[in-house]
Amino acid sequence: MALLNLSSPHHHSLNRTSRLMMWVLLATVPGLLAQSYWFGYGTVINLIWACVLALSFEALVLRLRKRPITPFISDGSALVTAFLLALALPPFSPWWLTLVAVLFAIVFAKHLYGGLGNNPFNPAMVGYALCLIAFPVSMTQWAGTENTLNLAQQWQWFWTETVSGGIDGYTQATPLDLMRHTKGLTLGELAATNPLLGLGLSASAWINAAYLAGGLGLLALRIFTWHAPVAMLASLGLCAGLFHMGEPDLYPSVGQHLFSGATMLAAFFIVTDPVTSATSRKGKLIFGAGVGLLVFIIRSYGAYPDAFAFAIILMNLAAPLIDTYTQPKAYGHQGNKDNER
Amino acid sequence: MGRVWPFHGGVHPPENKLQSNQSGIVSMPVPQQLVLPLNQHIGAPAKCLLEVGTKVLKGQLIASAQGFVSANLHAPSSGTITVIDERTLPHPSALVGPCIVIDTDGQDQWIDHAGIDPLSVDQGELLQRIRSAGITGMGGAGFPSAVKLQAKTKINTLIINAAECEPYITADDRLIREYSEQIIAGVQIIRQLLDQPACIIGIEDNKTEAIAILSQALTGIDGIEVGVIPTKYPSGGEKQLIQILTGQQVPHGSIPADLGLVCHNVGTAKAIADAILLGQPLISRVTTVTGKAAAKAGNYQVLIGTQVSDLMAFAEVDLATTSRLVMGGPMMGFTLTDHQVSVIKSTNCILASSELELAPVADHHACIRCGQCEVVCPAELLPQQLFWFAKAEEFDKAQSHNLADCIECGACAWVCPSQIPLVQYYRFAKGRVKTLHAETQLAEHARLRFETREQRLIDEKLAKEEKRKARAVAAAAAQAAKRAANPDAEDPIAAALARVNQQKQASATCVTAEPPEDAYKALKTAAAITRTKLKKSSKALTDALASGHEQAESLQTTVDQLALKANAAKAALSAYETKLGLDPEHEKQLQLAAAQAGAVVRKLEKSLATAEDAAAIEAQIVIANTAHATANQALEAYQHKSTALQQQTQEP
Repeated sequence: MALLNLSSPHHHSLNRTSRLMMWVLLATVPGLLAQSYWFGYGTVINLIWACVLALSFEALVLRLRKRPITPFISDGSALVTAFLLALALPPFSPWWLTLVAVLFAIVFAKHLYGGLGNNPFNPAMVGYALCLIAFPVSMTQWAGTENTLNLAQQWQWFWTETVSGGIDGYTQATPLDLMRHTKGLTLGELAATNPLLGLGLSASAWINAAYLAGGLGLLALRIFTWHAPVAMLASLGLCAGLFHMGEPDLYPSVGQHLFSGATMLAAFFIVTDPVTSATSRKGKLIFGAGVGLLVFIIRSYGAYPDAFAFAIILMNLAAPLIDTYTQPKAYGHQGNKDNER
Repeated sequence: MGRVWPFHGGVHPPENKLQSNQSGIVSMPVPQQLVLPLNQHIGAPAKCLLEVGTKVLKGQLIASAQGFVSANLHAPSSGTITVIDERTLPHPSALVGPCIVIDTDGQDQWIDHAGIDPLSVDQGELLQRIRSAGITGMGGAGFPSAVKLQAKTKINTLIINAAECEPYITADDRLIREYSEQIIAGVQIIRQLLDQPACIIGIEDNKTEAIAILSQALTGIDGIEVGVIPTKYPSGGEKQLIQILTGQQVPHGSIPADLGLVCHNVGTAKAIADAILLGQPLISRVTTVTGKAAAKAGNYQVLIGTQVSDLMAFAEVDLATTSRLVMGGPMMGFTLTDHQVSVIKSTNCILASSELELAPVADHHACIRCGQCEVVCPAELLPQQLFWFAKAEEFDKAQSHNLADCIECGACAWVCPSQIPLVQYYRFAKGRVKTLHAETQLAEHARLRFETREQRLIDEKLAKEEKRKARAVAAAAAQAAKRAANPDAEDPIAAALARVNQQKQASATCVTAEPPEDAYKALKTAAAITRTKLKKSSKALTDALASGHEQAESLQTTVDQLALKANAAKAALSAYETKLGLDPEHEKQLQLAAAQAGAVVRKLEKSLATAEDAAAIEAQIVIANTAHATANQALEAYQHKSTALQQQTQEP
């Protein structure tokens, strides 16, 4: 047998990109189930549609870029983008909304920058942000907690944006949205006048808890390190806590911040995206903390109820700079001041 | 057992040690031929001392160390030196290098040798014996041991590296189990050399039997302890082992000795014991042969210079199923494509792997910057960033990210989910950095040389100037002295100056006088100018007529006037010429005749070079020369006459 001539190391772990991606997909399942329990079949329909679109766009662009399709499509990164988009988009998204988001995420945010590993921005967040700006009405039409549409009705809504029988109250504003547009009421008065807020908050808390569980699973598998998610939750919690202590009537509590909106989804599935976040451990701490801070600012003072897409894209921009200033000290450089940056 | 510190990173590849550590070390019989590369160590190659045809005995010095960092080489068995030439080296480059080939005689006859009691001699003697035994580090790098034992700083802790963290390799494990007494004796000799530092033998906790045997052998011995460390690759890296056992990091750019530490391999300790106690130089070592293709995987006592092919045959390695032949371990070893290379002093393992045993050749995917490489990097680098920099050939950035601190352990590449051959990228970058650095130095050297030369030339010029001035001063002084001696004599310099001044005044008066106008020349010029003007105007007229310009008429008048003027100028010129008796036509004819005569002479001279009848041609040349001279004279006479005429006409 001809002897192979290769460079060391000659042994390799069984670690594979596709395996990492598969674990990430699996870890979203608890959140997916919780979301479907509270808001109906919309998310599932979205998810399947997004996956079909993501794989098709990925294959198409790979073909246009004259890259081998099978090895790249099997890395699972397109599916992760599809999952994240489907979970982040409202359950009442029509087909075209998902299509626009996935198209922009896969083709523009990912492949036009050179494909997996070369994109400066998180593709799912770019797709999401585009839709949020372009179609604000559709993007804020969140499902109501008493949504009782069956699969057929949801399917009909998905394609036609109407429901035969005209059931009322299938969509409503999210708790975060309600809390932002308080019409001069304090949070206490708001809760008293709007019984849906309490229910919405508890649904949101359950869903966030489910994402937290999935995220902790990934952490246990060492798919990513704790630095970015913990820093993000800590900085968001700290800001929320300080402001809530000062003016509890105007600012939601720490718990409401951490367990509503897309907090946990973002903390464990989006902030941890390795491609677009900072590199070193210290860098990841800064990156996560920056996202938490921006989220608090945009939630409290911005024009949009939830702010993860913008906060993450902004911090994606800052990642190279963070990398430059957070280079860890190498072995033997502990006493070296030049290297301390 | 003292404290153990953690080090950053590390991986846990499958150990694969059981294949080779279950049986004792087997001595391989003397092979028919031994091939000994002259450079088996870091530093200068040894210099061959003997000639082809010389009979050598086992343990006889055949090549001697050249310089401080180098090592002696001894004949591993008795026989005859048959060839000294260039052979493929056991090196990743697979380059060739000088080797001594010994055909063994099977007698394995020792040269006279004797050990000594280390306590009966001083440190210098011990060091000399270790140096002359040609002992180099047996862990892999092959640094001459005597150099490391000659510490300039006080050594507080001696670390014996028995970690053997690479998968598959068990040579040190078996060595400890079977030669613990000799190893401890060697350690004691090293301690004696270094003024009795404390000693820790660092060993991974997966070698339970070796640890037990070593601890047993150490009972009652003070100053040496066994440091059992967690099994984690690459704990056996020198820097990592130092951190594990002492909690200290070797600063960048320093060596362990700067911290009062020195690190030696366990095999080196045994070789030192053999050299001192038995007087035997380093001529054999324990090498692991393992892998699925090796039927008799195990450890072998192999003579240095044994061909890998012979060792493989002895260990019953199936060449047909060997897909990758690695010298060293699976993490840092290098592949051999030729098994006609030698086992050298630092060869600790031959891994003959079957096709599916080691990682297959995989297409690597894109880096997703997952950071797992950073988690496992024992040098605390950012391997993913280094990868991007190496790929983009941004070597300055790679250097600022401490590329040079990469120990090439392969942990990053082992763990990489995209299966990127990261170490290869770093080796490439290191190589390029080295080349660029060398180029910069060359350029810098050239610049310095150029500048020095320029400066030298300037200096020489200045020195010359100085000398000249000095001479001038001396001459003036001599002159002054002369004048002082004879004050009445006329000063020659003053006289010369006066003469020069007179001449200057004379020429100045000449220049100031307005030269008489050259009427002939003026006429010629006027004729030429009017001719040119006429030509221009005529052309303008034709253009104007062609385009039907309204000013054509006025142009026509101008042309007519110019034609008249030109004719007048021409007439004036010819009248003047006639008056002077000049005839331009005649002058032209004379010039032509002179040129033709000259051409005839040149032609004849040319043909003279090749002609057979040289005399005839020479005669012709003489005639032609005469003709040429006559023509020239006629021309000169005419020109002289015309000049004289012109001057005459100008005089009045």
